[in-house]
Amino acid sequence: MIRFLAISLLATLVLTSCSLKTTEGLRQVRFNEYAIENLYFSNFEIDYVYKAKIEVYGKNFGGILIIKKLGIENHRVVFTTEFGSKLFDFQFEDDTFTKNFIVEELDKKFIINILKDDFKLLVKEQTMVLGVYESENQRIYKTKNDERFNFYFTNIESEKLQKIVNTSKTKEKLTIDFTSSEGNIADTIAIKHNNIKLTIDLEKFKKE
Amino acid sequence: MRSYFLLLFFIVIGSSIQAQETAMNTSEITTFKEKVIATAKTTKTIKTDFVQYKHLDFLADDVKTSGKMVFKTPNLVKWEYTNPYKYSVIFKEDQLLINDGGTKSKVDIGNSKLFKKLNQLIVNSVKGNMFNDADFTVSFFKSSKYNKAVFIPKDKKIAGYIASFELLFNKDDAQVYEVKMVEPSQDFTRIIFSNRVLNNTINDSVFSN
Repeated sequence: MIRFLAISLLATLVLTSCSLKTTEGLRQVRFNEYAIENLYFSNFEIDYVYKAKIEVYGKNFGGILIIKKLGIENHRVVFTTEFGSKLFDFQFEDDTFTKNFIVEELDKKFIINILKDDFKLLVKEQTMVLGVYESENQRIYKTKNDERFNFYFTNIESEKLQKIVNTSKTKEKLTIDFTSSEGNIADTIAIKHNNIKLTIDLEKFKKE
Repeated sequence: MRSYFLLLFFIVIGSSIQAQETAMNTSEITTFKEKVIATAKTTKTIKTDFVQYKHLDFLADDVKTSGKMVFKTPNLVKWEYTNPYKYSVIFKEDQLLINDGGTKSKVDIGNSKLFKKLNQLIVNSVKGNMFNDADFTVSFFKSSKYNKAVFIPKDKKIAGYIASFELLFNKDDAQVYEVKMVEPSQDFTRIIFSNRVLNNTINDSVFSN
């Protein structure tokens, strides 16, 4: 009896620690979509300009994030201070990453890698679907990202992208939340890391 | 043949536009400097609106923000953006007091020479009186509308951030009405002042977060 309890306790521990919280309570469904799209940075004609607030280990920074689509799977991502001086200037073209500029203070490999991964995920337009899950009001697309996975949460009715969760096999690493009231424009974007204390909050510039 | 004429036409037009702005001669420079320094001396406080345009070559439109700026002698400055978001920075001694839409923070700039320099530039550019700054090579230009001082950094580190720094002055009162910061990539930021009020009483409490 004790042995049985011990085994089942162990089994529960192992199973729960191995299962990914992202898909808990969701049912896996058949699918015929080839790719999932993030359309929030998909229009060539729009200058996507956001006020940014960054909190990293309790310290706050502000700035302006500017994203422009230059071609198919080709985005320029520039971050400036409120006064307009550039802090970094990146380009994402297919799988090629180009660092056009970065201020000396941020020019460190681990910082660049975090920024690169975050913004690459944010601007990536199309990703191949591996599996699909559903809840009452959301349809969730599982995609692969190197050794990790991305889950794209969409609203079943509006089909709008609401959230992207980046995970390892067992843990959520990063969440990007979107709110959007009109068309394919994200009004607010919240990027939150789970393994480091870093959040990036973006708010779209209001039209005059 | 026709295109040659067109080309010639544009060259002539182009050079005549450029010709509107000419370099000042030595005596003009002396007179101009004296006027700016005299104005700066009598300027105890400034309150002004501003519009900022961030130009990036790949954007369809410049990124536009606007707000108010308050200056009190000798070196208190508050930049307050009100549109399209609320954000203010107070330059006070060796600190920056920041209020980012309600999130307040403080940055010590005492240790960073570069940051100190950039802030000093902002403070001094408001008054226009920065001709004696040993860190820059200064050249002077005039046109029918404005006088212009162009500052080019000598320090390599600063030059990595700013290719040049331009101040445009009103001809009549020698006040700065436009600041332009050009980056090494040739992208630039323009700040244009309007509704300037001089020497009204400004309480010190304006410069606290």
